[in-house]
Amino acid sequence: MSYSRALTLAFFLGPAMTLVILFFVLPVIVTLYASFTDLRNWNIQRGLTEFVGTYNYEILGYMAFNNPKVKYAVITTIVFVAATLFINVVGGLTLAILTFFLEERVSTGYRLLWLLPRMTPVAVYSLLWYYFFHSSDLGTLNKVLLSLGLISEPIDWKLWHLPVGTWMILVFVNGLVGVSFGMIVFYSAIKSLPWEYIAAARVDGAGNLTLVRRIILPQLRWHLVFVTVWQLLSLLTTYAHIFLLYQWGTIDRLWGQTWSLFVFTTAFLGDQRQGLAAAAATVLVAIGAVLGLITLRIMGFQRLVTRPRGEL
Amino acid sequence: MAGATQNRTLLIAGAVVVVLIILIAGYFLFAGGGEQPAEAPAQEEQPAAGQQQEQATGGQEGVAPQLPQLTGDVRTDIVNIARYLEANGVTEVKFRVHGAGDPNSIHRVYGIVEAAARLNKILEEEGLQLRIVIEDKKFSAKADEPAEVFLQSFPQRQEADIIAVSYRWISTFAEEGYILDLTPYVEAYKNTELADYYESLMNAVTYKGRVYALPQDTEARPLYILKPVMACLGYDAWEIAQKVDAGEYTWYDIFRIAKEAVDQGCSEWGVIHRKGTAHPDLVQFYYAFGGEFTGEDPEKLYLYVDALYKWLSVEYALARNGLTPENMLEWDWYKQIHPTIVSAKTAFDIGGIWYWTEWQTKDYYLDPQTGERRPLTAEEVYEKFAYSLFPAGEPGKSPVTLSQPFAFMISANAGKLNPDYEKLKDAYHMIAFLLVVKANDPDLNAIHSIVSSHLPIREKSAQLMNDQEFIQKLASGNLDFILDPEARDAFAELSVKTANPINIEFLSKVSYMLNYTNVPPLHWAYQPLAEFFKEAVDFVLKGQMTPEEATQYVLDQIRADPELAQAIEIVGEIPQGWTFP
Repeated sequence: MSYSRALTLAFFLGPAMTLVILFFVLPVIVTLYASFTDLRNWNIQRGLTEFVGTYNYEILGYMAFNNPKVKYAVITTIVFVAATLFINVVGGLTLAILTFFLEERVSTGYRLLWLLPRMTPVAVYSLLWYYFFHSSDLGTLNKVLLSLGLISEPIDWKLWHLPVGTWMILVFVNGLVGVSFGMIVFYSAIKSLPWEYIAAARVDGAGNLTLVRRIILPQLRWHLVFVTVWQLLSLLTTYAHIFLLYQWGTIDRLWGQTWSLFVFTTAFLGDQRQGLAAAAATVLVAIGAVLGLITLRIMGFQRLVTRPRGEL
Repeated sequence: MAGATQNRTLLIAGAVVVVLIILIAGYFLFAGGGEQPAEAPAQEEQPAAGQQQEQATGGQEGVAPQLPQLTGDVRTDIVNIARYLEANGVTEVKFRVHGAGDPNSIHRVYGIVEAAARLNKILEEEGLQLRIVIEDKKFSAKADEPAEVFLQSFPQRQEADIIAVSYRWISTFAEEGYILDLTPYVEAYKNTELADYYESLMNAVTYKGRVYALPQDTEARPLYILKPVMACLGYDAWEIAQKVDAGEYTWYDIFRIAKEAVDQGCSEWGVIHRKGTAHPDLVQFYYAFGGEFTGEDPEKLYLYVDALYKWLSVEYALARNGLTPENMLEWDWYKQIHPTIVSAKTAFDIGGIWYWTEWQTKDYYLDPQTGERRPLTAEEVYEKFAYSLFPAGEPGKSPVTLSQPFAFMISANAGKLNPDYEKLKDAYHMIAFLLVVKANDPDLNAIHSIVSSHLPIREKSAQLMNDQEFIQKLASGNLDFILDPEARDAFAELSVKTANPINIEFLSKVSYMLNYTNVPPLHWAYQPLAEFFKEAVDFVLKGQMTPEEATQYVLDQIRADPELAQAIEIVGEIPQGWTFP
C-alpha cells in the first residue's frame, strides 16, 4: 500500500519536483560545492576535483576587511538595493494608482510607455544611459544643461559628490527598469477589486485620496508583500545593466560595484576565479534568503496566509 | 496513525525523487564534460624530435603505417601524415579557426584558410586523397573575444582548433592545459621554416621553457608628433623625434612642449592617449621610468613602486594642467580620440603603428572644406605626423616601446571533429601545426604586415616588404600567389588601398623600434595588476586621488588579496622629494 502510494506520489509530484530541483535547488548546491573548490578559468575537470576547504571564504573575509573595493561593494549594495527597492515599490504603486484614475485608452498607452525600459535589450538601454550621462559635452544631460546656460562646464555625473552621483545613476537606471513590474502587478490588483467597494465609497462621498487610503491600499497588502520580496531578491542579484555602465565608465569604479557585480567580475574577468566567485555568490544567496524571510515577517505574511477564523 | 504513515510515505517518495534527480543531473553535469579529460599537453605523448620512428609507409602492402615524425620539411611531413591518415580511413580533416583584431587583420583567419589551400595543393600534386577543410572561420572585432570564447568553450569541447590572439593568454591557457605544447614540433622546424623568426618573438611565446604558440605579428607603439602643431610653435617635429630617440628629450620636455602648444593656442590638447585598458599602452610609462616586471625569482612578478609613482605623477600633471582630458579613459574612439588626433587638435599622441593605415581607411577626419567626414590619404598622414619612440621618463633613463605580439595557438583538443580522434589525435595536432607554419609563409606574413600596418615576425617577410615586384603586385591587386579564392579577394581589396610606398616606408622605418621593445611578462598576476593600473590612472586623471594615494591604492589592492600578495614582489617605495614637471 505504502509502496504503491509512494509510486503514485512520485508520479504526480515528479515533474514539478524535477523542475524545482533542476533549476532551483541544484544551482544552489553546485554553487555551494564550487565554493569549496579551486575552480578557475572554467577548468571544470581540474577545478571541481581540487578541494580547498574554506580557503575561498577566508580570502573573501580577508578582502572584505582589507580591500576598499570589496568594502565599498557592500556599502553600495545596501544603498542601491534600499533606494531602488523604494522607488520600484512606491513608484510602481503610484503609477498604478495614477493610471487607474486615467481613462482606459490613455492609461494603456501610458503604462506601455513605462514598459519600454524592460522591453529594450539591456545593451541598447545601457548605451542610451551611457550617452545620456557621458561626462563630456557629448552627453545628452550635459548638452541640455549647457544649452540652457545652467552649467558652464560639462559635469562628470558619476563623480558628482562621490559616491552620490554614481549611486544616483545606478538607482535611476535600475529603478526605471524595475518600476514597471510593480506597476503591472498593482494595476491589475486594483482593477480586480470588486467594483462595489469603489462605487460605495464614491456614493459615501470619498474623494480620490480617501479612496486610495481607505479602500485600495488596504486590499493591496498581498501584492505589496509579493512585489517587495520579489524586487528585493532581484535587486540583490541584478548586474547586467550595472556591468555595462561599469565597463563603459558611466559609474565610478570604486563605488559603482554591487556585490552581484563583484561575483560576476571575479568569476569572468581578469584572473577568472570561479571558486572564489561561488563563495561570494553563496554569501549572496544566504543574505537574500535571510532578508526575504525578514521582509515576509515584517509585512505580516503569516497573518495573510492564516485561515480566517470564521466562515466567509 | 494513518496520518503519520502518510507523512512518512510522502517523505520517502520525496527523498527518492530528490536523490534520483540530483544523481541524473550530476551525471550529465560532470560526466558529460568528463569523458575526455583535458590532459596537460606537456605530458602528452608527442613525437619527440630525436625519437626514432619509422616513417609512414602507406602504400606498402601489409605494413600498417605508423605515426610519422616531423622532419622539418612541410612537403615531406604533410605527405607522411596524409598517408598515415589515409591508411586509417580518413580522407578529410576539419578544423575551426577564430581570429580577431582591427578590420584589416584578416590574416588571422584567412592565413589559416590559405595555409589549408597550400597544403591541399601539395597533397593533390602527390596524388593523395586527403583534404584539409577549414569548416568554420570566425573573426571578431574585439581582440580578446576568441580567447574568452576559447576559455569558456574548452571544457565543453566546443572551442576553435586554432586561435589568433594576444600572446598574453599563453600563461592562462598553458597552466590549464588548454593549448598544445608545441616544443617538439618547433624543435623539428627550428632550422628550416622557423629559422628566420625573430628571437624576441619566439621568447614571447615561450612560457616556463616551453613554446606554446607561433607569433603571428607584432607592433610598436610610437609617440606621434603633430607636425602642424610643432610648426605653429616654430619647432621641427622630426628634430623633436630625433631627440626623443636619442634620450635627450624626456617626459619633462614633452610636457613643456605640450603645455606651450596649449597655452599658445596651437592645439586644444597636449597629449592624447588610448583609453580603456592601461595594458598595454600606458604601462610604457612604467618602463620609461625604469620599471621592470621580472627579477630574481622567475615565479614572481615584480612591481617597482617608484616607477609606478612617477608614471601616475605624469598622468596627474597632464590632467591638472589641462593637457590631457580628465576623462581620457572614457573618450569615444570614433567620435573623440581619432578625430582629435587627425585634425591636429593635440600636440602629441601615444598610439600604435597600426593607426597609420587605420587613419587611411576610416573616416575620422572632418574635412573643413566639404564639411564631410573622410579618411586621410597616405600623403596627408605623411604630412601630418612625425613619430618617435616612447620618451624616457626622466634624464638618465632610456626611451622605450612596447609590443604585444599576436600568436597562433592550437587547442589541446585540435582536430576533435575528426574520426577516430583518440587514436589519431597526434596526426591531427601535427596538421594543425603545419597550418600555422604555412599561414606564416613569408608572402602571407608580409601582406598582412602591409595591409594592417603591423611588423613582420620573420626576416624573410621583412625582405619581401622591400621587394618592388612584390609591392607592385599588391598595389595592383594581382595576388595570384594566393590559392584560396575567398582569401585572395579579401586580401586584394585591402592591398590595393594600402600597398603604397609611403606606408611601406613607414613600416620599415619603425622596425628599429623593436630594438627598444618591452614585452610584458607571461604571468597570471599581470592581468589583475594591469586592471589596478588602469583604475589608478583613471583616478589620477580625474583628480580623485593624488599620485601617492593612487600608488597606495595599487599596493593595497595587491595586499588585499592573499594570492596576489604572494605572487607579486613589491620593490622600493614612493620616492621622496621627486617632482614632476
